[in-house]
Amino acid sequence: MFLKQIDLTGALRPTFVSDDEDLLFVQDNVGLYEGKYKLPNHQNGQIYLTSHRICYVDKAEPRKHSVALDLKDVERFEFYGGFLKSSAKVTLIPKPTKRASLQPRSPVPAGSPSRSSTSSPAQHQDGSLRVSQAENTPISSATWVCTICSFSNPVPSNFDPTTANVHTPLPPCLACGIKPSLTHVLKAAISSATSRQPNGPVLQTPLPVRPRPGAELSAGPEPARDSSPRSSDPDASFQCPRCTFLNHPSLLSCEICGAPLISRDLPAELLPQTRTHTESPGPVLHALSPVAPGAENPECVKISFRGGGEKIFYERLKGAMTQRKWLLQGAPPIPKASRPGESPVNGAAAGTAMSASTTNPASQTRPKIGGIAGLEHHSQAMRKNNELVIGSAFEDLEALMASAKEVVALADSFARQVKGASNASENALLADSVSQLGLVATKDIVGSSSGAGGSDSLYLSELSRTLAEFLTDDRRGVLRKAGGIMSLVDLWAVFNRARGGVELVSPADFKKAAALWEKLGLPVRLRTFKSGVKVVQSRDRTDETTIKALLAWLRDLHEFPPDREVPWDWRRFGRGVTARDVAERFGWSIGVAEEELEMAEEKGVLCREEGIEGLKFWENFIDTGEGNGFKDLSREHAEKVVKRLTDAGFL
Amino acid sequence: MTTSPPNDPSSSSSSSSSPFSFPPEYSFPPFFTRQTNLTTHHAQLTKWSSLVLAYCRHYRIFKLSLSGNPTTTTNADAPVGGGGGEGGAEPDTTELFHNRRINRRLSLADIREVIDFLRRDGRAEYVSGAAPSGGGAEGGGGDLVWIYWRTPEEWASLVESWVDATGQRGSVLTVYELVEGEGTRGSEFHGLNQELLLKALNVLVKRGKAQIFGQEDSLGVKFF
Repeated sequence: MFLKQIDLTGALRPTFVSDDEDLLFVQDNVGLYEGKYKLPNHQNGQIYLTSHRICYVDKAEPRKHSVALDLKDVERFEFYGGFLKSSAKVTLIPKPTKRASLQPRSPVPAGSPSRSSTSSPAQHQDGSLRVSQAENTPISSATWVCTICSFSNPVPSNFDPTTANVHTPLPPCLACGIKPSLTHVLKAAISSATSRQPNGPVLQTPLPVRPRPGAELSAGPEPARDSSPRSSDPDASFQCPRCTFLNHPSLLSCEICGAPLISRDLPAELLPQTRTHTESPGPVLHALSPVAPGAENPECVKISFRGGGEKIFYERLKGAMTQRKWLLQGAPPIPKASRPGESPVNGAAAGTAMSASTTNPASQTRPKIGGIAGLEHHSQAMRKNNELVIGSAFEDLEALMASAKEVVALADSFARQVKGASNASENALLADSVSQLGLVATKDIVGSSSGAGGSDSLYLSELSRTLAEFLTDDRRGVLRKAGGIMSLVDLWAVFNRARGGVELVSPADFKKAAALWEKLGLPVRLRTFKSGVKVVQSRDRTDETTIKALLAWLRDLHEFPPDREVPWDWRRFGRGVTARDVAERFGWSIGVAEEELEMAEEKGVLCREEGIEGLKFWENFIDTGEGNGFKDLSREHAEKVVKRLTDAGFL
Repeated sequence: MTTSPPNDPSSSSSSSSSPFSFPPEYSFPPFFTRQTNLTTHHAQLTKWSSLVLAYCRHYRIFKLSLSGNPTTTTNADAPVGGGGGEGGAEPDTTELFHNRRINRRLSLADIREVIDFLRRDGRAEYVSGAAPSGGGAEGGGGDLVWIYWRTPEEWASLVESWVDATGQRGSVLTVYELVEGEGTRGSEFHGLNQELLLKALNVLVKRGKAQIFGQEDSLGVKFF
């Protein structure tokens, strides 16, 4: 499925897939279409655009009907501006190759480890192949060499030299982050296209396919393709394109080298006849186009923006698709470019290994040096590498962005090194918090809404959810450390500090967001004490539980003798406690303790004693419910009335 | 004959020799702090009132000095006879509002609140003549307070039933006789504060059951 069910956090926001996933945009009041039809149960929700995915979270039944699609599965996306009653839409067209070729096989998730671990070119090729056929410009393996760092980048799959112009978005260099000039990429694309020109006509003949039931296609080996020749015999084994090992046809990846065994070209070649009638852009392309563009594709997904925000969404989506952050997963590209004598794959591995500071496979290629010399050599190499990384990272902003992950990792490791000296517990906590605050809602990632001031409310609800997540996150345990309750002001301070001094939240917004918890059904609640102090606590903590805890403690004090002699009968009355005692005992702040005590007093559970030692609270032995004396008096009063009546002769 | 005085004299006279046993909350420190919670506060007032009444009943205190000055309460009746202070020395009424053992004391404002609570119930009244300073504040500023652990009406009916029981209807008795006379020894109102007795007798007068005549210190009462 193009659309996948997703997990939600406690605050009903999508969970991360990977650490470097960034939230780019949020918009509410959207609906989903599949093909031409509305998807039932997906008609009113919020759309989250992250650097990796597009997530739809349903408003009515978020746990049930929330879906996401990976951007890496997106072939193309189109924008439709809306007309009259039809609202603006963004159409996402999936990459059909994978889906179709995988269909007869077991449905392996697109991001399965075996595939994502193979370096980006393989994946890229994977996606670009179809395009090359669709547009008759076989740029599949076209690469352009960065003029800055001489890293050879793949030409983007959606780059079409025939239509490219100055406004065509070009991806920056994967290694150094410098944007290439259009002509540069154009040249690369054309040169690769011309080198393949002779093969052009063959494309129309069916390519060799994986043995597949019902597919009676046979073709000779295709020398121009990098995919290996395959026999048409259904029983034949499947040759790995990388290591040429003959695998069993039902295997998904090569047994020897782990390369993916996918017949990418299968559907493209199988389907053309059935799909000739399309609204394709031009007749020439149309004749050659094996796969119709989106409109007729049954699985294309449309996002309908009923509340506006489509333009920003489209812009951000464009950016995300250009950046293709998901390609960066795991392998920081910079060192591999700057290290000569290593294959890219090894370089990538070394890169990861470096950041994780473990033994790297690349060390096998080095001359073996043992003992202390080896260690020294190793650390020297590491230092050099670090130097290189930092030096190149700060050269310019783009490069810094590209290597942000690495620099952060380095900074972390430096921080760890100095930790021993300083009391870094708080710093570590803060740094931790910052890195964990990934999916933060800021004002500019939230789309505009239909009504006036509507965008504000979306921002607030997002902030509210972020806060709830922040509070309930077990890793941080903000609320737990504060004894399950903390004042709103404290939370505000902690939260803003955790944001690392950027994107600070104003107190007014913060208060409004906190007020939304109840409405959004989040697991925390805002409580206002009688004095007006606002506190935050988890939903399951009610006054009753607090009182129970307080009383249990006070009853305990009947059992344990007080620290010093007291004149009263402590076995009977226990002893009084100050707000300080309570704060100490329950881990609350003093203000909160005071409020809780007063709340309990308000309920009649506690009573107060003002003395030279300050205000103390006791179990309530004054109002024990019997109210004897008063009843006696009232009874006597009644008797008096009766007597008077008697005296007056009425009785 | 509708009231139930017969069992009272024995109980009060027998217990007056022993020290008053305070209720448990008397040694509960928060009892001496004004509670802010309304229900708790009401319960506190109720408990204080019953404590004050019980205390005064025990020591047969009719007039209570709020500042705890014992002389004002006793100079009226103590020298006259042993009725009130049977144990010799008059009890120190300061202990009522001041628990020395736990070193807690009810503030004067809070005491007044208790007294007001009693007044609303008809169980207390500021002594009007003794507190000229409090005249402006509706008698609220006085130091001396009548504590009606029996209201004048109740005293009146006690006297009336005694008169009935002893067959003295129609006869004339002096007030002194009623309070200190041999005939009333053993009855509840023996040793009653004279002023209070007059209040009670006035109740009877209003009902038409008695008539008061005579001058200042030689008052006579005739019962019908």
